Amino acid sequence: MNVELLTLSEVESVSGDAGNFTVNIKKKPRYIDMNKCIACGLCAEKCPRKVDDEFNMGVSKRKAAHIKYGQAVPLKYAIDGDHCIYLNRGKCRACEKFCPTGAVNFEDREETVPVHVGAVILAPGFKPFDPAGLDFYAYTQIPDVVTSLEYERLLSASGPCMGHLVRPSDGREPRKIAWLQCVGSRSTNRCDNGYCSSVCCMYAIKQSLVTAEHTTGDGLEQSIFYMDIRSHGKEFERYYETAKASEIRFVRARPHTIYPGRENTGASMRYTTEAGETLVEDFDMVVLSVGMEPPEDARRLAEKFGIALDHYGFAKTNSFAPVTSNRPGIFVTGSFQAPKAIPRSVAEASSAAAEAAAALIQARGTLTHEKSYPRERDIVAEEPRIGVFVCSCGINIAGVVDVKAVVDDAKTLDHVVYVENNLFTCSADTQDLIAQKIGEHGLNRIVVAACTPRTHEPLFQDTLKEAGLNPYMMEMANIRNQNAWVHQGQPDKATEKAKVQVRMAVAKVSKNYPLYRDTVAVQQKALVIGGGLAGMSAALGLADQEYETILLEKSDRLGGNAWHLTATDRGRAVRPVLEAMIDRVENHPRIKVLQNAALESAVGSVGNFVSKIRVDGESRAVTYGVAVVATGARESRPDEYLYGQDDRIMTHLEFDAHLNEGDGIAAGMSSAVFIQCVGSRDDRRPYCSRVCCTHSVKSAIRLKEANSRMNVYILNRDIRTYGEREDLFRKARDLGVIFIRYSADQKPEVSRDGDGLCVSVFDPISRFPLRIEADAVVLAAAIEPNDTHELVELYKCSANADGFLNEAHPKLRPVEMPVEGLFVAGMCNYPKPIDESVGMAKAAAAKAGVILAKKEMQLDAIKSYITEKCDGCALCLDVCPYRALQLEEYPGEDGRSHQRIVTDKALCKGCGLCEATCPKGGIYVHGFTMEQLKDQVSAALAVL
Amino acid sequence: MPNQIVTLGKAPRSLFKDNVMEILPEGGNLNACLTCGLCASGCPASGLSDMDPRRFLRMAALGMDEEILKSDWAWMCTMCQRCISVCPMKINIPQLIFNIRASWPRENRPKGILGSCDMALRHDTCSAMGASEEDWRFVVEDVADEVREMQPGFEEIQVPMDRKGARYFLNQNSREPVTEPDEMIPLWKILQQAGADWTYGSKGWAAENYCMFLADDKDWEHIVRTKAKAVEDLGCKVWLNTE
Repeated sequence: MNVELLTLSEVESVSGDAGNFTVNIKKKPRYIDMNKCIACGLCAEKCPRKVDDEFNMGVSKRKAAHIKYGQAVPLKYAIDGDHCIYLNRGKCRACEKFCPTGAVNFEDREETVPVHVGAVILAPGFKPFDPAGLDFYAYTQIPDVVTSLEYERLLSASGPCMGHLVRPSDGREPRKIAWLQCVGSRSTNRCDNGYCSSVCCMYAIKQSLVTAEHTTGDGLEQSIFYMDIRSHGKEFERYYETAKASEIRFVRARPHTIYPGRENTGASMRYTTEAGETLVEDFDMVVLSVGMEPPEDARRLAEKFGIALDHYGFAKTNSFAPVTSNRPGIFVTGSFQAPKAIPRSVAEASSAAAEAAAALIQARGTLTHEKSYPRERDIVAEEPRIGVFVCSCGINIAGVVDVKAVVDDAKTLDHVVYVENNLFTCSADTQDLIAQKIGEHGLNRIVVAACTPRTHEPLFQDTLKEAGLNPYMMEMANIRNQNAWVHQGQPDKATEKAKVQVRMAVAKVSKNYPLYRDTVAVQQKALVIGGGLAGMSAALGLADQEYETILLEKSDRLGGNAWHLTATDRGRAVRPVLEAMIDRVENHPRIKVLQNAALESAVGSVGNFVSKIRVDGESRAVTYGVAVVATGARESRPDEYLYGQDDRIMTHLEFDAHLNEGDGIAAGMSSAVFIQCVGSRDDRRPYCSRVCCTHSVKSAIRLKEANSRMNVYILNRDIRTYGEREDLFRKARDLGVIFIRYSADQKPEVSRDGDGLCVSVFDPISRFPLRIEADAVVLAAAIEPNDTHELVELYKCSANADGFLNEAHPKLRPVEMPVEGLFVAGMCNYPKPIDESVGMAKAAAAKAGVILAKKEMQLDAIKSYITEKCDGCALCLDVCPYRALQLEEYPGEDGRSHQRIVTDKALCKGCGLCEATCPKGGIYVHGFTMEQLKDQVSAALAVL
Repeated sequence: MPNQIVTLGKAPRSLFKDNVMEILPEGGNLNACLTCGLCASGCPASGLSDMDPRRFLRMAALGMDEEILKSDWAWMCTMCQRCISVCPMKINIPQLIFNIRASWPRENRPKGILGSCDMALRHDTCSAMGASEEDWRFVVEDVADEVREMQPGFEEIQVPMDRKGARYFLNQNSREPVTEPDEMIPLWKILQQAGADWTYGSKGWAAENYCMFLADDKDWEHIVRTKAKAVEDLGCKVWLNTE
């Protein structure tokens, strides 16, 4: 209700300043009235004009009347004016003729509307690289050479092959498929994309694994041809290892030219392996793993908004404010800012929301809408009077199910006093009709036999509320998805099943009773645990939204690891920004910093947590509504490569300290060797520490810039300078830094040779064993999380096998923890550089702000509750996945102490595992009581 | 090369590669190698002498100057540029190879190429086969007569020689007039069908330039200048090299 969607629109011009922008928006005609469209799909079915389906990358057709894809929001059709026959040639109007709601409007015209806003977020996304210009890949000539996006659609269950993979040339299932990485990425020849697109390694691995699920039989061969595998995200390295174990072939080679196979089916490639062997291999299909580019119109958009772009055309931001453009009030997010995968895009979108919220703080709440409803009718004393509405869903249901027979059957059921059939029960006019019938017939319960409650229940509940009924006095029978759509060939049986579905819903709704959503008061205060860069950023994000924030730091100073870092990946000095940030945190009127502090306890749930915090030996209680956990990580201590036995063998941070202190250790050096993956990507820590490649590359550049004659080597397993960090990798090479690859089973050896240090390693490119004399050996030691055991115990949250705290969902809810009201930011979640830590912290502040914005929050009404039969046996306690149940003692009438379960309504999700587990009816879930379920089942069985 | 251990000492290295970088625009990007192997996959000389362009460049980067400078492989390169054409870093491997060839004493360079260059220097025809102006004129006239006599439809075919002011000056690889004269005919026919305004020249007509492959800058330049002068002397606008 508080989001207005303007589709088919583009920005024409912008005026004004932060806090008061006027954005003129050109709205193109949709030719469909969104208020009338019920997304039945008849217009598309009847439309005679076929057009390449751009969502399926042109591998299938759509109609001129169309929706982009089944999950489109808003789910409303549109007529594509460029292709519509009527709009171009003046004849047809088939859609108009068949539209059951009269939604087609050919009089629709383009219009420009001014929008007044205080802040703007730009998220125009990316454009996939077009490989047509790279003649040696023959993409436009060989049908079975496809881009990864085309392949994704071919593989998708909602794509043109319905998930049964076939190749374009002859429609046969491919058995042998190759992926070619870095097409249009990491290249400055024939394209200007010197950056790494950062997502292609993982999507190629995913596609290769998913391919096995979408093909039949044995003998499938998937090969990925690559330069470096960049599985640098959380759990990515494990996924890569899984792929290797699943016999996905990873070939470190790049084929030169793709030749057509026989009769132009399949393709053939010649490539040279690292061992120097040149092979020719045939494949049924070749997938080009294309990279990301800034979209073509992003430059124009940037010009209109007056924001700066970097040399690649991505929006320019700095690491400490990753979503803030150079113009106040304009924020940027997603792959428009830099190539990135979903988790960071989602997190940074929240981060942009936080920045915008802080910018709009003075106007907060002034334009939000809330709907009002009539007073609820008291129906508790009434006999059930049920109205049944059977939907035809155009022909979706009525084309299979005899809806009239269903109506007639429903009329015979107990308590049913009104039944009718609607063409579309969900349409706006039917909602009015339902409300009218509720009044006319004194209905107190409603059954809608239509589609899925997942999408439509809220709509009908709202109709009940508007008619003065409790919204829980309704049930839906899904006679479309669970019936008409899956029993198309058996209309008679489908009709019988639909009748039973309605009978079950009627039986259940007869026992429905009004339910009310509880509210809990929200402590509009936040606790942030950890005073590093992430914790401070989160605290500032919250405090700038004017929420009281307590920042807890275990040591005696704020700043954490940032004290040891020299410059960001974009080259900005860390220290001055860090000091300014600490100053702002310490002097912020809404932040209370507690140093030398430790969390001792945590009880309560979202909106109401209480903790004991020990500060300087004294314990004090604090209350808060939300907490952001940012406990950080640290550089581990290596136990190999003679570390600890020689001062010249150092970790990154130790080496940086020498460089920064200018103590001469670095000044006299003429040869330095960096060794990557020290303690990462091995059995003990099977993850990539993500930041070390860039760190080594930056240090190497520093050395070469100070002394270009110095010999600098970086021994690595893959170089993972993802995104625009690839520029640093290029710079280091240009300066003469030599990168030598080693494999996990043939690691380098460090030895002392008289006074000197010596590193032995086999160079696979020259195919010679090398013996490198070095003044210093720098170990890229793994990043490991600070201990989180206690925290996990206190909050009942969770960490992964490596000890990094878990998010609720890696893609969709990247900063929320599985426990509601808890958020996670920074390196305690996974190793990450400054920009990502700050971005994640701001995102956590935004998400936390959503809870803190209200004095009280509404909970769902579907919650478990205890009956008098509960005897405290606690069987349910173990099965509850949300830790919503607890045992409590209470004095019985016999004067003795008894035990029983209590539900924490803030934590309970109403899943019903407790009800199913309890052997004695001691715990039920509202809306799904044993009695309701029993009646439902009896109604189903009665027809047998 | 035996499987020797390569020692990389602390002393700053002065590499042959660095000298080449100084004379190439952008340093030929010679340091930028990602070691991806795209060059090796496309190189017709990959695998010869257990070498490929990627390995060669890496050895140059490691300062194995002695090995690369005396490597025969530098002479196996065809200068086809398939490597730089696809290299993501646009690394000028062909120029590295060229400069290595140039570093060889002239007399030690491969006999075939050397002999062909020297032969071309003998006449103003620039023919690596040693064809003189006289031989060339005779062969062209002889073959043209034969075509006019024997091939119906081409009784009137013209094969102009030293025609001033023609638009196109056509070169011809001298292997053809010397060993396969009939192979010149199809092109003549095409030019006639196209109505092209063209001519052969009695000087500077040989298309090949072995002095370039020999990496002999001075003689390469001499050959190019001789050919250019022939074109200019006839006042032709376009120099068509069929090599």
